[in-house]
Amino acid sequence: MTTYIIRRLFLMIPTLLGITLMVFAISRAAPGDPVGLSQGMGGMMDAQRAADVRAARNRLYGLDKPVYIQYATWLGRVARLDFGDSIKHHRPVIDLIKERLPITLILNLISFVIIYAVSIPMGILSAVGRKKFLDKASSVMLLMLWSLPSMWVGQMLIGYLCGPPYNLFPPAGLSSNDAEQYPFFQWLADRLMHLVLPVFCLTYAGFAYLTKLVRAGMLDNLRADYVRTARAKGLSNWSVIFHHAFRNSVIPVITIMATLLPAMFGGSVIIERIFSVSGMGLLAFESVTTRDYNVVMGVATIAGFLNLIGLLLADISYAIADPRISFESTE
Amino acid sequence: MSDNKKHKDWGTSYGEMVWHEFAKSKFTLLWLGFIVVLFVVAVFAPFFANDKPFFIKIDGHLRWPLFGALTASDYSIFLAAFITLIQLLLILRNKRKVDPSIRSGVLWRQIFVSISIIIIGTILFFIFIPKRLDATDYKSMIENGKATNALFAPVPYGYGRTDLKVREQAPNRQHWLGTDDVGSDVLCRVIHGSRISLSVGFVAVGISSIIGIIIGAILGYSGGKTDFVGMRLVEIMMAVPVFFLIITIVAFFPRSLFNIMLIIGLTTWTEDARFVRAEFLKLRRQDFVQAAISLGLPLRSILFRHMLPNAIAPVLVNATFGIAGAIFIEAALSFLGFGVAPPAPSWGQILSLGVSTTGRFLWWLTLFPGLAIFFTVLAYNIVGESLRDAIDPRLREAR
Repeated sequence: MTTYIIRRLFLMIPTLLGITLMVFAISRAAPGDPVGLSQGMGGMMDAQRAADVRAARNRLYGLDKPVYIQYATWLGRVARLDFGDSIKHHRPVIDLIKERLPITLILNLISFVIIYAVSIPMGILSAVGRKKFLDKASSVMLLMLWSLPSMWVGQMLIGYLCGPPYNLFPPAGLSSNDAEQYPFFQWLADRLMHLVLPVFCLTYAGFAYLTKLVRAGMLDNLRADYVRTARAKGLSNWSVIFHHAFRNSVIPVITIMATLLPAMFGGSVIIERIFSVSGMGLLAFESVTTRDYNVVMGVATIAGFLNLIGLLLADISYAIADPRISFESTE
Repeated sequence: MSDNKKHKDWGTSYGEMVWHEFAKSKFTLLWLGFIVVLFVVAVFAPFFANDKPFFIKIDGHLRWPLFGALTASDYSIFLAAFITLIQLLLILRNKRKVDPSIRSGVLWRQIFVSISIIIIGTILFFIFIPKRLDATDYKSMIENGKATNALFAPVPYGYGRTDLKVREQAPNRQHWLGTDDVGSDVLCRVIHGSRISLSVGFVAVGISSIIGIIIGAILGYSGGKTDFVGMRLVEIMMAVPVFFLIITIVAFFPRSLFNIMLIIGLTTWTEDARFVRAEFLKLRRQDFVQAAISLGLPLRSILFRHMLPNAIAPVLVNATFGIAGAIFIEAALSFLGFGVAPPAPSWGQILSLGVSTTGRFLWWLTLFPGLAIFFTVLAYNIVGESLRDAIDPRLREAR
């Protein structure tokens, strides 16, 4: 097992290099140069002086060196998690990310657990009761859920539930302003109330996706010969469904983590923006709006990195769930 | 099969089988019809919502301001729609008139010609049609009695027209879906917004499908080391959260409609590449491919003439979902303020105005563009779903 994980970790290195290269390439391929941008229009200087200042700045930021050296330097700093300072916040980018990341992770993890907790039973029920009312109703419902734009749902929820007539939920943030002074249970209740809407918006599309997948997998397995054998043996329906069919359909459900995770990361940009949750997504949004390039690059790199860890976890759970995969085999 | 006795009986083609299976469900056909309606609305948007009248009599002269004000992009859209329609009719004609053995070659040639006409036509339109700015307020001319006998579009507002007197109005008799923060008519903007959504959907998916097909075809056909290295690169692309990547690119590059199409297209091809590669890996060992290779056909012909038609089905299904996805991404980008700049109308941009700067919730600016996005995305998803079921015989029996 350990060797398997270590091997997977080594395989991650080229991917990680690729991600950093991509982020770096994007930043360098962009029109306009950072020095010119930071200098502003600079109408007061004569041409000679402006050129001198520009050259000095270029030297300062290492922009006079060839591109591959610039990349190597940048990569070296990234390896030490040094993404430079944010232009807007005047603080190291990594500090900002450290502050914001846990919030996004909590939000996504809660949503993730809920998606799996709801979708698996839903998918099983739907497959077992195939062509019955529940199944038919749910398949149309799921497609509709899948097509609902989260920014619309979020904004409608805020507009109708957080407004004056009902005031059901707090509209913004993850806790009230004075939540620090609350006793524990009140603090917890406050936190939960704040989480309801953003988590709902992050989860519903996932339900649709995963439930369909579970249903399809279950349908395949329920028609398989071994299930017929199990039934012929006289096993209870429950045992056939859970011990035989479900255990075999769990594998695609695990592999889909690899698709679900990046989608949720992306989704959290929108959700955090709507609900003013100050996580990574909002940081990404703000840095793009203010053209805070160091932050943009840092966030993109870290997001790619986290995604890789997600993929690794998916791979490992896949290997655990499927006994046919031996840990010693390559690939 | 006996319905066209005049022609040779070539049996049922794969496409016909899929269509037959697809058309079984009235529900799906309904949504396909909805997509067609959306297309008509998008193509003829200036005729549905325009502040210039079709014709107007000024000082006894009959003028046609609406037609005079059509821009180069309007003409390009008309041309593209017209050529696409012709192409669809040609495909139906091929089914009856062209021998199946050369049908795919004929089809490729036709598509090539169609696309060339569209591209050349668009370039010519943009060169030769001058930018005209017709700021005449025809409506007030009518009111003042300077002009008579005008026929306006059903929604007599321009999408870029601002009128601060009527800003942020709830739906009323003048503005059926209300007005936005600068007093533009929401219905008009939703109608014109369909153009951006659909064009982003189709162009982005076109780009991503082409990239995906080419990369997948090369990797799957060559196998071995090329395949291994290539797939690692594809995996790198897949490991980056697409939406983060897109907003990273958006941060660095100027925002224009074309850039957004390009960015979405360049970041979403990985699925297609994987599908095509998997199919090609299977196909390349089959006899007809071996035969094509041993005949010494050029690689281009082997890949795209002989192998691709057998692997195109999953790409088509994926493209349908891809259109829904691209429309979704464009709306999200515009919602975040990274999309096309106003006054260009985009559903996501209207949606973002749903919470005013003072924090007021303006329901009509949220509900209507949201419904537009929702129904469009839903239509493509339903059609994609049915297409997949129709194509995949294994799923067919499972249903």
